[in-house]
Amino acid sequence: MTVTSFFDDFHRRDFFRMCLAGATGASCSGWLGKLARAAEGAPPPKACILLWMPGGPSQTDTFDLKSGHKNGGPFKEIETAAPGVRISEHLPGLAKEMKDLTIIRSLTTTEGDHGRAANIMLTGYKEQEAVKYPVLGSLVAKELGQPDNELPNYVSISSTNSIFRSTADEGFLGPQYAPLSVSGNSNSPQARANMAIEFLAPPRRIARSQTETRFRMLQVVQRDFAERFETDSVATHRSNYEKAERLVRSQAKNAFKLDEEPSSLREAYGRNRFGQGCLLARRLVERGVPFVEVALSGTNARTAASWDTHQDNFDQVKLLSQVLDPAWSTLMRDLRERGMLENTLVVWMGEFGRTPVINEMGGRDHFPLAWSTVLGGAGIQGGQAYGDTGPDGMRVVDKPVKGPQLIATICSALGIDPQKENFTDEGRPIPIVERGTVPVHELLTTRSKTTL
Amino acid sequence: MNVPRASLVLTFVLINLCIRVDADDVSSSTADPQQRLSSWLDSRFEARWKSNQVDPPAIVDDAAFLRRVYLDLCGTIPSVSQARDFLANRTVNKREQVIDQLLADPRSSRHLARVWRRMMVPGNGPETTVATQLLEPWLVSQFAANTHYNELARQVLVTSPDGSMMRLNPGQDGENPSASAGAYAMVVGQTPDSMAGASTRFFLGVSLNCAKCHDHPFAKWKQQDFWGMAAFFANPEATGMGRIRSDKGREYAAVFLGGEKATIRPDQRGTEVLVNWMTSRDNLNFAATAVNRIWQHLYGRGAVSEIDDLDRVPAEERSFFLDDLGRSFATVDYDLRWLMASLCKSRTYQREAASKAGSSPAEVITQRPLKTLLPEQVFDALEQALNLPIGKADDSPRMNGTRVQMVAKLNESTTNHPDEFRSGIPQVLLLMHGSMISNATDLETSRTLRAVVEAPFFDPQEKIETLYLATLTRKPRSQELQSMLEFVREQPELQQQKQAYADIFWALLNSPEFVLSP
Repeated sequence: MTVTSFFDDFHRRDFFRMCLAGATGASCSGWLGKLARAAEGAPPPKACILLWMPGGPSQTDTFDLKSGHKNGGPFKEIETAAPGVRISEHLPGLAKEMKDLTIIRSLTTTEGDHGRAANIMLTGYKEQEAVKYPVLGSLVAKELGQPDNELPNYVSISSTNSIFRSTADEGFLGPQYAPLSVSGNSNSPQARANMAIEFLAPPRRIARSQTETRFRMLQVVQRDFAERFETDSVATHRSNYEKAERLVRSQAKNAFKLDEEPSSLREAYGRNRFGQGCLLARRLVERGVPFVEVALSGTNARTAASWDTHQDNFDQVKLLSQVLDPAWSTLMRDLRERGMLENTLVVWMGEFGRTPVINEMGGRDHFPLAWSTVLGGAGIQGGQAYGDTGPDGMRVVDKPVKGPQLIATICSALGIDPQKENFTDEGRPIPIVERGTVPVHELLTTRSKTTL
Repeated sequence: MNVPRASLVLTFVLINLCIRVDADDVSSSTADPQQRLSSWLDSRFEARWKSNQVDPPAIVDDAAFLRRVYLDLCGTIPSVSQARDFLANRTVNKREQVIDQLLADPRSSRHLARVWRRMMVPGNGPETTVATQLLEPWLVSQFAANTHYNELARQVLVTSPDGSMMRLNPGQDGENPSASAGAYAMVVGQTPDSMAGASTRFFLGVSLNCAKCHDHPFAKWKQQDFWGMAAFFANPEATGMGRIRSDKGREYAAVFLGGEKATIRPDQRGTEVLVNWMTSRDNLNFAATAVNRIWQHLYGRGAVSEIDDLDRVPAEERSFFLDDLGRSFATVDYDLRWLMASLCKSRTYQREAASKAGSSPAEVITQRPLKTLLPEQVFDALEQALNLPIGKADDSPRMNGTRVQMVAKLNESTTNHPDEFRSGIPQVLLLMHGSMISNATDLETSRTLRAVVEAPFFDPQEKIETLYLATLTRKPRSQELQSMLEFVREQPELQQQKQAYADIFWALLNSPEFVLSP
């Protein structure tokens, strides 16, 4: 058998395999697979998209306005689709989606340092020397990930901002739960929002047929070694290469081919890194990825500090809102129209909020005492504003929510038991959230409450 | 060899004793203490295999031995010519010669420093950067001078953490004069409790950290044990000499792990007293933990299963060979290079890796697993295989940032267990499609490939053999050679034939055998 014929063969067989998968309803991928599973009576798999706001967004200028108070600043409040819930005038798209979103206005935490706060908010635990806690994405990837998925179970889109995040995400869960990072440096409206998995494509001078030849030769070269050593390490090596080869062949099921989407939809998301990142997140979830993180960091030179608006807060928050609003509201609509919203949880959060008091430079500083996050979609009872920070926003006056409770609520909405234990290398059991942490039941749909 | 004569004699006596105890068949006529230790170790292993009713694995051939010993002692693979020379060498004791030669190679101190830095500061957190920049260079200088292990421990513990001997100035680059033993304290967090937890784990193989906040759930350690050790590192001005106040406000006095109360004279530092106790020959855990780490480095698996939980290892497991090897190490005044040479010269070290995991712990402990190359080893081995330039002026991958990037990426999926392989998809894609491999397998840019493909004096078989030697330090087996020759001959045109060699080269570099050392 010649190498060339082997590859013609491969493509043919691959094609047959895919046809068969479709015909029998076996889980091949994406929403087709999900529909098939739903038809068989199994609950459709859930997923989470985390919209991560590095730097700490100002709640007072987004979801918890203090109109009429001197802390309020210049932004006006607008009505939303949820009666009685009002948000910033710079989030008009989200105002329309409010029936499916719930604001937590009473989050209260204690850490005001970016790195440590981000760690606490994403792991649910205070950083410790002895235990490296995994972040939400790794925890969800472990619980909801499909081992046979061709795509990774945790994808992180342009969130490599080391000032605001430290430590390895996966913690003691180990590297198989580490995120696959998608680079996305260009924010140019012209660039095809260069989001890609690094080195997914072979070098340009290598023809497709040669890539296949190389994969084939690798099979031949490793045969003898694999026969001599039937060890876990050799098996892992083989399975990793097979996964990577599948990813290369399928080019990640074309998840990254954003130009397959209608131009109007891409415009609606916003032709920028975050907007296109949200679109990519939807495409990844559609293809079975259970956790995708999209970060909204500096969109241009003026917002290079992301949400860390110690000075000139209002101009920057306005600019960031103008990126956030179309992307996120289009994501909500897009998910709903595809029947994915009831199984996809969207979480908006940063590491802390910002001071209600405006400082001398027209900025707002770090403020963990009373701030906001937003949840919507899977398992979440939308249309609410939960908790209250009083007329000045200086403290929580009603229904305080602590950081670990937020993680517990997210888990519950996703159908994950927040008290489930994972084990460190030392064999120490660590529950997903600290023992005794209660999810905020009022935020959950009846269905997700009953599954607890 | 800079071992005092007296200790050599002692070793001699001690090893003789050990041999008498359980292996009378080992010849006692040989006078070389290294050889005695090797033989003693071999007899222990061979007895174990016999009682397990399995045949000892075969001794590896010269090519496999050379690759193994290069990777273990120098962190890289031999060049094609080094491999050819060694294979052609007819000297009887050429293996012993190459072991001694490699241990004296400057690359050896750099590699061993990396290995020990990883053991001292496990994981891949932000502290790794400081460890790499400040602790590792200091370790290089210590391995180059063959500082004995007890002295190394003394410097690490006594230099810190009160700051008086620390010259840490991370702003400088180049030779990095700020590298020092004190970097260890800086990395683990310069508090008495973090130093106590970290150094007890690293030097004594006991994980005490759980006992910091509560009595240990499944070991005998109480909070008293933890804080008793922390008291050695306390600042005397706060609570008086050898005393510490815990984070819950309780006061504890300095107590050696295991219960003996320490006396610290006014002219002493707590850490000095601690090190004297730790490195004394009566404290077997110190030597046993050291040899356990060395054995894990060389063999891929510790002499007992739990390296950092030596206190939880059953006595019969320790008595296989760990404790006696530890005693021998203490007798030669903790001479690391001497010990590594002795171990590498043993038959046990030179046996084949296990083809599959054994069924019982007693069987597993004798098995050499495949060892996963460390990130730096992957780069260095690639550099060797690809015959890359190494100078700054050549814009070499070593100097232009490629190495740093590759090591960082591979580190993301590296564990502390040499027998574990966890490389993820990003790492695989880097090796498949990254610039280093791409350039190396491109006929236009690759040095090795061009040298092989264009060589007029090589026939196809020799070309393939050279590619195998360059990457896997061995010649292809006959079946492999046939497959490769067939593949080349199937190509209709000369250019495609050349391309076929490039594809073979790519496959060899991406093969499990390249990153998993048998």
